[in-house]
Amino acid sequence: MAEKSHKITMLEAITQAMAWELEHDDSVVVFGEDVGANGGVFRATDGLQKRFGEERVFDTPLAEAMIAGLCVGAAAQGLKPVGEIQFSGFMYPAVDQLVSHASRLRTRTRGRLTCPMVLRAPSGGGIHAPEHHSESMEAMYAHIPGLKVVMPSSPRRAYGLLLAAIRDPDPVVFLEPKRIYRITKQDVPDDGEALPLETCFVLREGSDVTLVSWGAMMHETLKTANELANEGIDCEVIDAACLKPLDMETILESVERTGRLVIVAEEPRSCGVGAEIAAEVAEKALFSLRAPIERVSGYDTVMPLFRLEYEYLPSVSRIKAAVKRSMEAE
Amino acid sequence: MAITTFDLPDLGEGLADAEIVTWHVKEGDKIETGDPLAAVETAKAVVDVPSPYTGSIAKLYAKEGDVVDVHTPLVDFEVEGEGDSKSAKSKPAAKKAEKKSEEVREDSGTVVGAMPASSEDLEQEHIIRRKPKGGNGRPKAAPTARAKAKELGVDLSQVAATGHRGQITAADVEKHAATGPSAAPSQTKMPPPAPSATAKPVNYGKAEPIRGPRRAMVQSMTQSRDLVMPTSLFDDADIHYWQPGQDITARIVRALVAGCRAEPCLNAWFDGEAMTRTIHKHVDLALAVDTPDGLIVPVMRGVDTMNGDILRHELNRVKIATRERTVNPQDMQNPTITLSNFGMMAGRYASPVIVPPQVTIVGTGGIRHDVVPVMGGIETHKRIPLSLTFDHRAVTGGEACRFLAAMIKDLQHPF
Repeated sequence: MAEKSHKITMLEAITQAMAWELEHDDSVVVFGEDVGANGGVFRATDGLQKRFGEERVFDTPLAEAMIAGLCVGAAAQGLKPVGEIQFSGFMYPAVDQLVSHASRLRTRTRGRLTCPMVLRAPSGGGIHAPEHHSESMEAMYAHIPGLKVVMPSSPRRAYGLLLAAIRDPDPVVFLEPKRIYRITKQDVPDDGEALPLETCFVLREGSDVTLVSWGAMMHETLKTANELANEGIDCEVIDAACLKPLDMETILESVERTGRLVIVAEEPRSCGVGAEIAAEVAEKALFSLRAPIERVSGYDTVMPLFRLEYEYLPSVSRIKAAVKRSMEAE
Repeated sequence: MAITTFDLPDLGEGLADAEIVTWHVKEGDKIETGDPLAAVETAKAVVDVPSPYTGSIAKLYAKEGDVVDVHTPLVDFEVEGEGDSKSAKSKPAAKKAEKKSEEVREDSGTVVGAMPASSEDLEQEHIIRRKPKGGNGRPKAAPTARAKAKELGVDLSQVAATGHRGQITAADVEKHAATGPSAAPSQTKMPPPAPSATAKPVNYGKAEPIRGPRRAMVQSMTQSRDLVMPTSLFDDADIHYWQPGQDITARIVRALVAGCRAEPCLNAWFDGEAMTRTIHKHVDLALAVDTPDGLIVPVMRGVDTMNGDILRHELNRVKIATRERTVNPQDMQNPTITLSNFGMMAGRYASPVIVPPQVTIVGTGGIRHDVVPVMGGIETHKRIPLSLTFDHRAVTGGEACRFLAAMIKDLQHPF
């Protein structure tokens, strides 16, 4: 197939990945609330039903537990379901299916069945949405043994990682940072090339300090790195991308070189993925650290409504202050 | 009566525009607050936009099927009895960063959110770096050690590490701070001891950099400490029966060659990392010579092939060249064994330091008259104290003892 290449948003890249896989793998099915006739709340499945038919792309009732359960059943019977939860804030009824069934199907059947499902959900804040539309609860899913948790941060990585998630034999929670759905466009060749899961992506090489982030926060983190470069601070920027399992090898190697680590995360501070990264670095690279590990994160509060949400989200100035504290430590 | 323009609010999900599906009103219609104005297609669904005012429709800005950008005019109202233009005038819906509550609230009835959108090109490449690039040689140190180094003004890169896997411990830092300038090649910050409350500040003078032969000494001694497992053996050679006119240094060199013949493995190079040793056929003797600039160690090649006169001639030549500092650098390289004649000044026994890859250094102390018990009585004999230091990784104790015994036997020969 001839490669097509064009500038698209991250949202369109997600649609493109599902379309590629629907086209090339008959076992792939896509379903969720409004994904069929309407094309999805954010248009992620726009045109897919028309193109691939109502048997492969279809609407479900407003019942998240059912969507996840349907994924588990379909996956157990040889399909590769891609379920959509309209907002990650509506995902909690589905968590029972994820914890009790999807994550342990392989173990429960002693390896006879796996659960090759993907549950997609728009996640995170910054779009002035109402209550529980804006939270970043990736750590909850990352905590469940047997689940993979992926969060892309660019059109190209969204395409490659979603393809990898669909092809993965085990369940993947694919959290899409909706604030950056349409924030930029990028050339994304529609070549069906997946990117590796369980891999960090180095977005900027630097020698003074390692910044690790994921999802929408990559945007602020890279911006901070670019601004600090003008002040003579050379930041290495790593997109964790796959939050479970984490590619600690890349992060540790970087921290051993720079001796400094700043973690930027939209999630609440306590018990987060950021806390896990900090703990791993403390265990395995403590003697390379030249400064205490810094975390710039959301707060341990309910995600505020839109008037205060930019107070909650880590800002360039908060990240910058953390980097400077780190630089001044030694 | 006032004309008020109502802009299309941000209809959520971050779409920049919306399509007018159906107008529920036409120009001239009366309308009340909350009545549906138009059905528009958003990302989520077709939704009705309610009228924000009571009045009549003065103008519709779009036709059915038109796509209207958010924050651009949708409808003009003629509002009855509203003189207060501030309350009557519609305001543009909040942009993403605006925080004025009044403006944001205007959206809240119909929207799910406001998503930023742009056509900005993302120019970004990512690197997948699973293979580690390798370390940078920076010191590894526990936080306590780093804090201690900061407190004492110690440069961590100068501190010798004794911790697990080459990590610098707090004790290493303290040790370095206490002994630093003599032990480190380029100590820069050595703080004076903390003054007591009553003591006046003391001027300790300025630390001077270590250069030349002294610097070489620092490096070779440090290397030796890190690599070699030194063991020393002491004994004396009784030269009471020497015939007159013996050349002491030449005899010592000859004895050392005899030791090498007896146990060639002491005249060798050892590489602990590669686990190899090189046993040399010839003896290239490094001779430690004291000078005001420090210790200079010229090498006399092939001393095993020299007889007494040639040896003396060579010794004189080397000593003069050394004192005049005219020894070529290549004439100070690659000795196979070292002799230190320290006893010409003072000292009886010592354990001089082996410079790897050599495995042996012989030290001779000052010759003196010793009281020696002999058969039938007590005599005084001249004796040369000998100190043999060998790298026990490469040489066994037995080999070292036989080497020293051969030296003593040769030295005790009358001529």
